[in-house]
Amino acid sequence: MSVQNKAGANRAKWVLGAPLILFTVVFVAVPVFQGVQTSFYALTLQDPSAPFAGLQNYRDLFSSPGFLNAARFTVGFALAVTTIETILGFGLAMVVNRTFPGKKIFFTLLLMPIMVAPALLGVMFRLLLNGDIGLVPALLDKIGLQISLFAPDSVVPLLVVLDIMQWTPFTFLIIYAGLQSFPTDVLEAAQIDGAGRLRTVASVILPIMKPIIFAAVFLRLIDAIRTFDVIYVLTAGGPGTKTTTLSIFIYKTAFESGGFGLAAAASTVIMLLLLPLVPFLVKRIARQEGDLA
Amino acid sequence: MGKHVRIAGAVLVSATLALAGCAPSTGGAKVAAGGAGGGTGTVKMVLWPGPEGDAMSKVVTKYNAGKGKSDGVKVDMTLLSRQDTFSKESTLMAAKSSAQDIYFVASYNVGQFAASLDPLSEIDASNYFPVAVDGLKYQGKQYALPLDVSNHFLLYRKDLVNALVADPSQKSAYEAIAQKATGENRDPKPAAQWDWTDFKAMAAYFSAGTNPKSPTKYGTILQTKNLLYNTMVWDDVLWGMGGSWTTPDGKANLATPEAQKAVELYADIYKNGWTSPDSSQAEFPETQAALKSGKAAFAIQWSAGFAELSDKVKSPEVAGKIAIAPVPSKKTHVHALAVALNKYSNNKAAAKKFFSYLATPEAMTVYAEAGGIPAMPKVLADKASVNPAFPMIAESINKYGYAEPVFPKTFQAYSKIAEDLSGAWLGTVDAAAALKTANSNLQGLLK
Repeated sequence: MSVQNKAGANRAKWVLGAPLILFTVVFVAVPVFQGVQTSFYALTLQDPSAPFAGLQNYRDLFSSPGFLNAARFTVGFALAVTTIETILGFGLAMVVNRTFPGKKIFFTLLLMPIMVAPALLGVMFRLLLNGDIGLVPALLDKIGLQISLFAPDSVVPLLVVLDIMQWTPFTFLIIYAGLQSFPTDVLEAAQIDGAGRLRTVASVILPIMKPIIFAAVFLRLIDAIRTFDVIYVLTAGGPGTKTTTLSIFIYKTAFESGGFGLAAAASTVIMLLLLPLVPFLVKRIARQEGDLA
Repeated sequence: MGKHVRIAGAVLVSATLALAGCAPSTGGAKVAAGGAGGGTGTVKMVLWPGPEGDAMSKVVTKYNAGKGKSDGVKVDMTLLSRQDTFSKESTLMAAKSSAQDIYFVASYNVGQFAASLDPLSEIDASNYFPVAVDGLKYQGKQYALPLDVSNHFLLYRKDLVNALVADPSQKSAYEAIAQKATGENRDPKPAAQWDWTDFKAMAAYFSAGTNPKSPTKYGTILQTKNLLYNTMVWDDVLWGMGGSWTTPDGKANLATPEAQKAVELYADIYKNGWTSPDSSQAEFPETQAALKSGKAAFAIQWSAGFAELSDKVKSPEVAGKIAIAPVPSKKTHVHALAVALNKYSNNKAAAKKFFSYLATPEAMTVYAEAGGIPAMPKVLADKASVNPAFPMIAESINKYGYAEPVFPKTFQAYSKIAEDLSGAWLGTVDAAAALKTANSNLQGLLK
């Protein structure tokens, strides 16, 4: 490439990338910086003068049982739902990745849960699952099953099930999209070699799909750690703090306690804990040289 | 590429540390505390949607068409989401914004917001309920004007309870169940005479699990979701048992025998199945649903719930069958939803003209006729034809009303108590241990 062409290509790169860079700076970088900055100040509603607090917010955070409980619940919840959703999403993608009657309708119905805003879904579930007027308990009652879905012992499994119902279509979509560009000659070779269905999945499909599956896991895990809407609408983090996620903890700290500095510190800690995951996962998502493509 | 990434990372970290040393834009640097303005122009107000927002929109329309013209003031009201109004306002206050002139507040958060509000001492508040006005004072200053008043009632199926009281053939069955449930000899009584032991006995009697002949599935529905508003409901039990949040000298007072009895009442009702297991996630709408569906015989509910339950269209199963009585043991939480002046408003003089109008019976009559529950005894008395509950609300507030202490972290205290006790309310956490934690946390907030 001549020097002139190279300079032109560089210029084009910056011009085309400028809107995204500007968007990232204004709507991501600046708020993140401001949040981190706030975490070093004792900014509360009761005292908006916000004196400099150094690391005091962080000290308060790590000695707060509420934060530690929320972290434990969030990590457990996120790992559980991500694992199940990835497995189910993969299974669904394999099933749908063939021609069958009504495939388009089935596909559309499958994607419907992710088209609904999470908060709205929370409100819908709240009505559907209500013991007195809800459709689901009424149907269960008709088949002789009297379960209280919101009882303390069943509320966590309920939240896991609802999350799976809502977000499995997301992992399915990512994995299904990956299957569309799967090399068919490799499958044919496996068939010729006499590999059965399960063996083909385990030894051929899964290794090649690993980057796509990691992408689904990564995106879903980050989102699951940020879970707020459905849980807040349904349980408000209760009973007690049983279902309080980190996002609910941050929300309550900021808007019920008026502790903006402490809430900013919690947000910063979560960001710093998740950031190291990015290069680890990007490495596994990006295809290596020499991989089948 | 690796070198560029390292340089970018170093710049990022340095910038972050540098910014951390600067004052945040939401605090630190002094921001001028608004201004009086010319006394005319547009006044911006926020409120939350629902009965209060609907009623207030009628008041605003009337003001803008009438008195507002002579005042030279036009009020522009924005309805935020019911769930997030206070969060959005908190953000505006933390940013010292002048975007809104009038905020929507409540007696349970006025202490928290006081640093961002201007007192309204010059507005005549003599038409309001004294308890509502006092609940909006912080450090002796009036920070808001009451708009809507909320308290609790015992909403009950009068067809069932009155039939029980009038029927001698049910008396012995009731006494046996009451004895087992409460350890005491209790006769069936009219709802207006109940104490909390009667409440428990009735909950047992009207639960099909304990009394197979019960016409309802559950006696009651408890509001035990981890929500600050449910602390307000439980406080009726606490105050009714002789307890309170604080001692007369202002120290936390939750680790007491009275508080323990109040928690155990809830826990006993829940564990015995005299309330739906879904009570663990119940608040106002779930309570309405339980009463509307006929599954519960009675409940402690906000005063705003009665109108819907009496409506034939909205509650066909129970309309005409629900009556109201004072909360057992005759102690009801009262709070006022209110309007307050933004300290950073640039239009304070104009906003105060609107406040002066709001504080009149004329404005609050419009509010009442549009579905609100104004905090003015005269209006409630005059407008009984609009809402039959009005006279009872006035009596209840005057005779039985109490208000929790107002301090900067009152709002947080309600949330913390719900968080600390909602497990104990269900009997999943030991009551004494939960109250010890709640007491310690409350003491921390009182400082």
